[in-house]
Amino acid sequence: MKEKIIDILSEELMKANVFICKDVEKEIAKYNGVFSNELKENTLISKKKGLPLCQDTGIVEFFVFFPKNINIDFDFNQALNESVIRTYEKNPFRYSTVKEPLFERKNMKNNSPSIIHYFFHDEKYIEIRFLIKGGGSENLSILNMFNPSVDSNDIKKFIIEHIKNNGVRGCPPLNVGIGIGGTSDKALILSKLALTEEFNFRNPDKNYAQLETELIKELNNLNIGFQALGEGISVYNVHIKEYSTHIATLPLAISIDCYLSRKGRVKIEL
Amino acid sequence: MIVIYQEKGVLKLNFNDLKKGDIIYYSGELIVMRDAAHKRIKEFLESNKELPLNFKDKIIFYAGPSKKPDFQVIGAVGPTTSKRMDSFLEMMYQLDISATIGKGERSDFVNSLNKKYKKVYFVSPSGTAASLSQKVLNYETIAFEDLGTESIQRLVVKNFPLYVMIDSNGK
Repeated sequence: MKEKIIDILSEELMKANVFICKDVEKEIAKYNGVFSNELKENTLISKKKGLPLCQDTGIVEFFVFFPKNINIDFDFNQALNESVIRTYEKNPFRYSTVKEPLFERKNMKNNSPSIIHYFFHDEKYIEIRFLIKGGGSENLSILNMFNPSVDSNDIKKFIIEHIKNNGVRGCPPLNVGIGIGGTSDKALILSKLALTEEFNFRNPDKNYAQLETELIKELNNLNIGFQALGEGISVYNVHIKEYSTHIATLPLAISIDCYLSRKGRVKIEL
Repeated sequence: MIVIYQEKGVLKLNFNDLKKGDIIYYSGELIVMRDAAHKRIKEFLESNKELPLNFKDKIIFYAGPSKKPDFQVIGAVGPTTSKRMDSFLEMMYQLDISATIGKGERSDFVNSLNKKYKKVYFVSPSGTAASLSQKVLNYETIAFEDLGTESIQRLVVKNFPLYVMIDSNGK
């Protein structure tokens, strides 16, 4: 089981870094502005030569969903980290992690550790989602603790203002992940989890689904464009994940993913 | 020597002739340098240590390449966010670099710095590192090797795509 998971993930982590995803490929094909040839050429060269699409091959974030009654007889964290180390040692990727954040910042030279979040779900299989998280887009993450009496327009204004002021540094078109509710930490994790959703996924609640649709439209009106040069779309998508919260709080977290949308999702049948 | 090929076949030899929005294909030398190397250069200057290279007329490319595969001279390479280097920019202009290359907008004060020092800020296509690595003819680490991908590196490039984001009039 452990080896199987490492094998599958190593392959998927490689693919996410090297092969452009179908949804993004379609959007790049439609774009004809500045540097459009370079964008198209890039996807062909990386595929042909096994080079990463971007030199920032990221820190890997995992979101693992276990069946509720599962027994695991091995170190799951270690298996996930091993899949990262194997992938990044074997391929011409960049080691982008440092051991300690403030004083030495010494490079780990194997791209470990990954950031791992565990959840339980009602299914009978293990689902592992991951994001290849580049530093540029990660630096645009934000958390705001709203007054609970604000309305959805206030929330919308805050999100639009944040993307307007910072979106250009996240390699647009962007995927925008929104976490709302819970506690501060919960909101941030939800905003990251939102980035793992597929392009056509909409929030099952109609109010949140509508908010997603409105945000997609209004964020695209900002005309940030591909390469932040004002032509083409500005965001691919907005995904919102909500959670129950305290009567006195309304946490809102925004996470951003770059135009390459490097992510994956695997199911491990038990 | 700096040789610049501008798109419509017009040859320009002086960065100061460039205007915001111009696209050029640059051939020549680039010096790769990012966060950690800037921090160390600052420490060197503060403690009067001799710098590892003369920055005069150098073009600084904010980047950190991926690992080099056997089949080409460099790994995937592309621009990183320039704004993180804004606080070091005047220091680098005083060392008389000629231009910087990165991605994204910069702080407002960069426009006036560019005007004051007559320097240019270019962006090169971000997230296209496989493609950009094909434009690199030569690659070597020249200082701070211990910083790995963040060391100071010298590239020789051919037809490297650049877009003038802030020209030397601060526009």
